[in-house]
Amino acid sequence: MPVDEPTHAATEVDEVPVERVEHVDQDPFEAEGEPSAARRVLSALSAGNISAIYVFVLLVVIFSIWVPDTFLTTETFKSLLDQQALPALVALALVVPLAAGVFDLSIGAAVGLGAILIAWLIQIKGVALVPALAISVVGAGLVGAVNGVLVTRMKIDSFIATLGTASIIAAMTFWISDQQILGLPSNLESIAATKLFGFTLPVYYVLVVTIVMWYVLERTPVGRRVYATGGNVDAARLSGVSTRTVVFVSFVICSTLAGIVGVLITARLGTGDPTVGPPYLLPAFTAAFLGATQFRGGRFNVWGTVLAVYVLAVGVKGLQLGGAPIWIPDLFNGTALILAVALAQYQRGATGSSHVNRLIARFKRQPDPEPTEV
Amino acid sequence: MAYDDEHLPNRSVKVDESSRVGDPPGPSAPAGRAAGSPPLLEITGMSKWFPGNLALDDVSLSVGAGEILALVGQNGSGKSTLIKVLAGFHDADGGDISVTLSDGEVYEGAKARPHLHFIHQDLGLVPTLSMIENLDLDRKSSWRDLLPSRTSDEVAAAQELLREFGTMFDVRAPIASLAPAERTIVAIVRAITGWTDPNSVLVLDEPTSSLNRTEVDRLFRAVRAVAARGAAIIFVSHRLDEVMDLADRVVVLRDGRKVADVERGGFDHDDLVRMIAGRELANFQHEAHAQDEAVPLIEIRGLRGHTVEDLTVGLRAGEVVGLGGLLGSGRDDVARLIYGGLPREQGEILIEGRVVTPKGPREAIAAGMGLVPADRAADGLVMTMTVAENLVLPHMSRLRTPAGNIKVSREKAETAKWIASTELRPQRAAAVVRLLSGGNQQKVVLAKWLRAEPKLLLLEEPTQGVDIGAKTMIYELIASAAQSGAAVLVSSSDAKELVQICDRVLVFRDGVVAASLSGAQLTEANIIQQSLRVFTPALDKGEADAG
Repeated sequence: MPVDEPTHAATEVDEVPVERVEHVDQDPFEAEGEPSAARRVLSALSAGNISAIYVFVLLVVIFSIWVPDTFLTTETFKSLLDQQALPALVALALVVPLAAGVFDLSIGAAVGLGAILIAWLIQIKGVALVPALAISVVGAGLVGAVNGVLVTRMKIDSFIATLGTASIIAAMTFWISDQQILGLPSNLESIAATKLFGFTLPVYYVLVVTIVMWYVLERTPVGRRVYATGGNVDAARLSGVSTRTVVFVSFVICSTLAGIVGVLITARLGTGDPTVGPPYLLPAFTAAFLGATQFRGGRFNVWGTVLAVYVLAVGVKGLQLGGAPIWIPDLFNGTALILAVALAQYQRGATGSSHVNRLIARFKRQPDPEPTEV
Repeated sequence: MAYDDEHLPNRSVKVDESSRVGDPPGPSAPAGRAAGSPPLLEITGMSKWFPGNLALDDVSLSVGAGEILALVGQNGSGKSTLIKVLAGFHDADGGDISVTLSDGEVYEGAKARPHLHFIHQDLGLVPTLSMIENLDLDRKSSWRDLLPSRTSDEVAAAQELLREFGTMFDVRAPIASLAPAERTIVAIVRAITGWTDPNSVLVLDEPTSSLNRTEVDRLFRAVRAVAARGAAIIFVSHRLDEVMDLADRVVVLRDGRKVADVERGGFDHDDLVRMIAGRELANFQHEAHAQDEAVPLIEIRGLRGHTVEDLTVGLRAGEVVGLGGLLGSGRDDVARLIYGGLPREQGEILIEGRVVTPKGPREAIAAGMGLVPADRAADGLVMTMTVAENLVLPHMSRLRTPAGNIKVSREKAETAKWIASTELRPQRAAAVVRLLSGGNQQKVVLAKWLRAEPKLLLLEEPTQGVDIGAKTMIYELIASAAQSGAAVLVSSSDAKELVQICDRVLVFRDGVVAASLSGAQLTEANIIQQSLRVFTPALDKGEADAG
């Protein structure tokens, strides 16, 4: 009764391996097998994988022809590296929560908080430099902790939660000081303005953060767990990943880095300004989403993000040198964000649903980070 | 328009009326099936290329009015592609579709589409809307849409439709809160209501994967009723019993080609398996590996929570214990309650005599458990990641070097071993899981936990939506886990599967174990009988959960 197939399989046993081999040959995937080295190189160089590099080259060529005198100078490229170091750090910070599958819209506000805290502590409260630095960075990091609690414990969607905290932190920033705080000491300035081999220190900070983040995200179990949480929070949780911790810590890292950027902005300007933070929000998202279309086929990643920051910066810089009006950067960034996401949708066909798409698709089905903890 | 004569259905539709219990009364051969008239739906020379892969290779088939055609084949055989071409998701690279209505009018290509109705595997319902709102989506727009909906009429109409299916639930509750079986019924109701012309084609793609036997019977009655009205039915299923039960004719696809087109009565279960697999499948033979011990390896004491009222059971090392019963009887929640994936009200879990009672999956894994969830896409796999990344997700720290990074060589060696031993296709660690067929995805989920060498392996519906080749492999893997000393707990709605792979089956009814079957008692009939003894429709239970 239990088995409805009589045991006449034995007679056919000899045929089994033969048939299997034949079947494998016809398999659509197996026919490709492990791609050859040449194929791997080709696909690594394909427009779908490193389109930003081609765009970068194209932009350089266009502006070299358009405004050769001002664009094609070492000074331009040096200043690009210097100027974009801080936006690059913000974009890198944002990669962490995005990889974990949550938005952090409060990142700009956290930058602003860090920027005003350091100036206020030193100038108004007379705190010494080192403790002031520590308090500013930790203060900004607390924003992430609040976000983390809201999202993992109170189960508020990250988009809404961080939108709310962004507004609250922006208000707090103005509450601390609604005007510029001038006359900051030069030893603060030195952490951002000191030059080493012709570049200011933030360029090296970017390099260090990039390498550390790349190592952690791409090479360690921790990074795998972050990507797994972002890819499928339920599957990750049932595989023993502490998804709450992953999300919480990703928020804290993001805000802490944002706070460091805020401090660096104040150091660079020599002035505490309550309005500097929020403009960092959109370029960071643009770079992170554009970066996700590069190298890793739809996965938010560190090198793609850094590349995206500089591609966008070259575009903006060239247009400015060509005489474009001041609203150009916003237009350029907004367009690039939409194009980047559209590109990610297009890539879906090639590599299956990307992490970017999962993050966008969460509006259709809201996964609870940890729905059934006892 | 050339087709092989053998594909014409009208010559020899043999319908064994005696076996069709529960058929609605009516003419057994509607007008459209009269000899000589063309088939209702005709597909000729259909081909479809995907990059590097000929998914459909010159497939021709036809379905007559009133005929139920079953389309079978392994995952990746081209069934889904054929359905998607019919539905217009893909453009064919060659071939024609034509629909011939009873009045002799012929519609070809895109013009034929309005006469084709589909129930896809994902049902195509809006989960946040209720049944009546979902039914409303299909209605043609008119000026009436500006008036307020006449809700009470709609509710009454929807309830009437449900009554035809012999079931009842809250038609105003969101689809997401319904049980899977109820959702399937909503989708079917939606597909067959509002047909102005009974000469339509209804395509059902795996409609029964989440249904139990009673619900399947209800569905089949409905499908036969639709066919009797003069519709042509294409029925896609992995469950061969259902195919044997329902189909007038079976078309078998393999590697994108049609390999068989056989009438009812012209094949038996084994023939079908042979045609689908292209080889005789080694019949899976269960062997008992249970070890005799004084203290069982796993003890579950007084487990309670969700739909489970009380469960106390001991599992010995090497024992495969099945959980049978209707949907919502408690059977489907046990694994997660043990694992800590669902909140537990009461009860403790002991491994090797030590109380572990995990608070959540992390503790469960640390204690030596593994869970293969029923819904591999939602709970089992990170679809965007590769086979290797998914395989090593639990117990990843074992691969760590002192520098904190993942030791690539070790990861490669471990994943290569599992990819080979599960005969995964493609045999590539770097393949993105989403691109694998259902059966191969399931192998990845299973291998992920076998790698962890669990003491207690929990499985939910281990072969749902899996082709027959992968099924045998999955059974072998489960047996090998038991052989290496794990206790295995399998929850399944497929009674035959439980009989085939288990030493002992606990049949659930109303949250408690109604019967423990083993040895000669362990038969498919007994499992079904025990799960139904006091008739408690699964749907009512599901509704209670939703509310």
